[in-house]
Amino acid sequence: MPSTTFLEKPRASCALGGALATVNALPRAVPILHASPGCGAMTSVSSSGASGYLGSGYCGGNSIPTSSIGEQEVVFGGTDRLAEQMRTTAEIIDADLFAVITGCTAEIVGDDVLAVIRDYNKGPGQPPAILISGAGFKGDSLWGYDAALEALFRNYVEHTTVRIKGHVNIWGVPPAQDVWWYGNLLEIRRLLEGLGLHVNTFFTSRDSLPEIRSAASAELNIVLSPVHGISAAKAFEETHGTPYVLTDLPIGAKATRAFLYELEHLLHLDHALVEGYATQQDALYYHAFNRLADAYSDIDLQRYAIVIGTIDYAHALARFATRELGWIPELVVVTESVATADQSALRKRFEGFLENPDRTVVFETDTSRMAGHLAERWPGPNGSKYHLAFSPAFVLGSRLDRDFAESIGAGHLSVSYPVSNRVVLNRGYAGYNGALSLVEDIYSVVLAGR
Amino acid sequence: MTTLDKSGPPTREERLKACNAFGGTACGLVNGSQGGCLANYSRGFSQSSGCQLMLSMAIAGTIPESITVFHGPSGCGSCLLSMAGLSKTNQASRGNSGNIGTYWFSTNLGEVEVVNGGEARLEATLREVDRRLHPQVIFVACTCVPAIIGDDVDSVVERVQADVKARILPLHCAGFKTKIVATAYDVVYHAMLKYLLQRSDRQPTPVIADPIERLAHEERRKRTVNLLNVASMSRGDEIELKRLIEALGLEVNILPCFATPDRFLLAKDAALSVSICATHDDYFVEHLKELYGVPYLLNTIPIGTTHTRKWLFEIADFFNVRDRAERLVAAEEAEVRQALVPLRGTLQGKRTFVSAGEIRAGAQAILLQEDLGMEVLAVRAHHYDRYGDVLFQDLDPELPVNVGPSQPFEQVNLLKRLRPDIYVGHIGGNVWTARLGIPVLPIFGPSNNYMGYQGIFEVASRLHRVLRNPSYFTTLGETAATPYKRTWFEADPFTYIRNGRGANSGTRLAPATHSAPHASVLNGEGRALP
Repeated sequence: MPSTTFLEKPRASCALGGALATVNALPRAVPILHASPGCGAMTSVSSSGASGYLGSGYCGGNSIPTSSIGEQEVVFGGTDRLAEQMRTTAEIIDADLFAVITGCTAEIVGDDVLAVIRDYNKGPGQPPAILISGAGFKGDSLWGYDAALEALFRNYVEHTTVRIKGHVNIWGVPPAQDVWWYGNLLEIRRLLEGLGLHVNTFFTSRDSLPEIRSAASAELNIVLSPVHGISAAKAFEETHGTPYVLTDLPIGAKATRAFLYELEHLLHLDHALVEGYATQQDALYYHAFNRLADAYSDIDLQRYAIVIGTIDYAHALARFATRELGWIPELVVVTESVATADQSALRKRFEGFLENPDRTVVFETDTSRMAGHLAERWPGPNGSKYHLAFSPAFVLGSRLDRDFAESIGAGHLSVSYPVSNRVVLNRGYAGYNGALSLVEDIYSVVLAGR
Repeated sequence: MTTLDKSGPPTREERLKACNAFGGTACGLVNGSQGGCLANYSRGFSQSSGCQLMLSMAIAGTIPESITVFHGPSGCGSCLLSMAGLSKTNQASRGNSGNIGTYWFSTNLGEVEVVNGGEARLEATLREVDRRLHPQVIFVACTCVPAIIGDDVDSVVERVQADVKARILPLHCAGFKTKIVATAYDVVYHAMLKYLLQRSDRQPTPVIADPIERLAHEERRKRTVNLLNVASMSRGDEIELKRLIEALGLEVNILPCFATPDRFLLAKDAALSVSICATHDDYFVEHLKELYGVPYLLNTIPIGTTHTRKWLFEIADFFNVRDRAERLVAAEEAEVRQALVPLRGTLQGKRTFVSAGEIRAGAQAILLQEDLGMEVLAVRAHHYDRYGDVLFQDLDPELPVNVGPSQPFEQVNLLKRLRPDIYVGHIGGNVWTARLGIPVLPIFGPSNNYMGYQGIFEVASRLHRVLRNPSYFTTLGETAATPYKRTWFEADPFTYIRNGRGANSGTRLAPATHSAPHASVLNGEGRALP
């Protein structure tokens, strides 16, 4: 990701933070940072406290083994310190995989980390170690997620030419950076298993390192994002020959049904099977969803909407709000820094459900500029008492957007990262079950005063 | 001794020979500190700790009307994402309002800047931040990257300062420069002294035309103390300490945290600076004395009756109101003792373990023993220097002591042996204790009261509450996984502490005075031997 400008309150940490959150979410994997002493704590605070209190996990937070690069290592090199740290980590930490993540200091100094890892891997009876480049100046935490998966696919997943029909790998839902990753992956997994598929979701308690190691036998890799996870998908294809497809995070019955049909097409599944499953899931969903109808019809629960989040959430939430809640998104803000050249392709993904994506979809990183974008799209009071007000309105964004929501008298729910005002355990917003949770959460805000 | 002519302060390693790795006894620690032989200890296995950049936000991040620009890659500063709401609440409790604490920026350095330098990006950011938001102060928090690639941040600051209204304060706080994160306090104070106080046009005494008003002002000034707060104390603590100082007939100016730049400038007008934590303030108060003649008190912290008494008496002695302080203390102590009676039944004899910064850890241990009748099994300090001696020499000489910034691997090893009934720890990382099934009382955070007499009662009542139902922790202990091998819990907890660089890991703590007592921690009975 290019870093072409400064940012107000970056809604992500750095590559190291993203890689760290990714490794921490893998079963029985432990990170070893080759970085300055505080990199682990700095990014752990943002990936836990700002991600629904995700927690330290198995060996994260301030337990992360860290070479703690100091002045001495910056001047003389830090490979000896890393070698020692890897050896001592293997002595006391109980893990099946170590991932050495390098930070800015190590990468600028130019330590030959690969050589240290190669030497370590020669030692008998120790868990294997892989290298993930996580220098913060290379990219943000979403970039780091991609880099971590790429390293895993290239250097941990075992090569095979055998493809097993019905086996798929799913990613594109970054742990921590997607606050709802755990619940989302569980729901996606449930849906795919409902179609009779064998799934690697990598990061749930249903996944395991042996399964991940044999991920190359899948017939298809499915990336639930048009951006995040592509490098890993390309690396996977290059290393193991497995093709990939990019699609969008599905939220709600309509998007999920479309996703299931997409899978039918891609994996040549039996049409009757998919149709039957989707119909059954639709029925379950609408049985609950339609209970809202009384309130919606009596209280008027339609809203003008502002959606703020990563491309994945901006798209998924705007689509769900428009097509299933009957809302009217007037401003959709994509918060990653996206190169101008790449913006129009991403904007196209909003066609079909937004009236005018060219006008509605904005690429903006800076929180304090959201109000200006709304003002450009919705004229303020003109002195007439019959002014068409931007009301009732609702902001689906991050915790950072609450002040903005309050300033325009809109309701607000923290959905996209960062979320420091909610606890998230296994709640997800993807699929059928996730959408029902989302509806509950949104309208619980709207009706909280009752 | 001023170092303000330099870009930043010396590190705590250089200035105080501070130590960040030690395992032994209280006596061994104090002897080592006084003999100056602790500074070279390090670890062959280490875990992530904070960095001085992160801790610099504990002051800089609280200053109203200020904005921080992190000069580095986008992740440096991301810790603030977790506290957008909290910082607003903390400000509001001090009567500060507006969008304080909700803005910060990153120069978002990329590969291009690593090669070509980041000065242009910093300059553009500073100018734009000033144009967009008109803050009074902009902190430039310099991360590892510009420190290694050699950006001349001070020159950029001088250049931009000539054109903007905001006062720009560079913080030289690259994480790799020090392992004693408390250096961060010196870094922020250094910048505030150099760029705010020294460059302010204000005279120590404002020009007041009316002679009677002038006299009144001078009289007030002579009775005003700077009460130096820390971000990890509550508004309740501030109110308690203010109440006690005012009861001596004095006035209080609370700073630096949550104080506007204008209020900070008043620091040089006070009659006395009173610190509640030497770890936080020693660099600042010494400078304030040297530059503006403001004397200071730095010896102790008002935690527990003994040290609150010492703290108040020192202030009283300075202003020559000892009688008044003795009456105040006698009444306060009697009242709190009475209040503790119903709680002491639960607390008496309970076994506890304390972990915090050196000053608060030592003082808290004394509070738990003396005021609450609890048994302290061990004390951990984030780091150690001579300012801890006054407290640690009052502890049982054979008490097991461990010094380490976080380093939960040593802590869980100790805890498994000692099995306290309850653990009292600085906020951040207490989960590793909780996961052993040990009930945790988090203290030393912005939402907890623990100072003065109110603090004693509050800590006691919270301990009492936690002990009434520790089920959450018990269940956690039964169900949470540990990342350590079983063999680690059988090993010496200080296996990886070594004396001096280059020694192999696994080297025992060298001096016999240290290694002999800490063996007593390791008798495998889950109990420290006297």
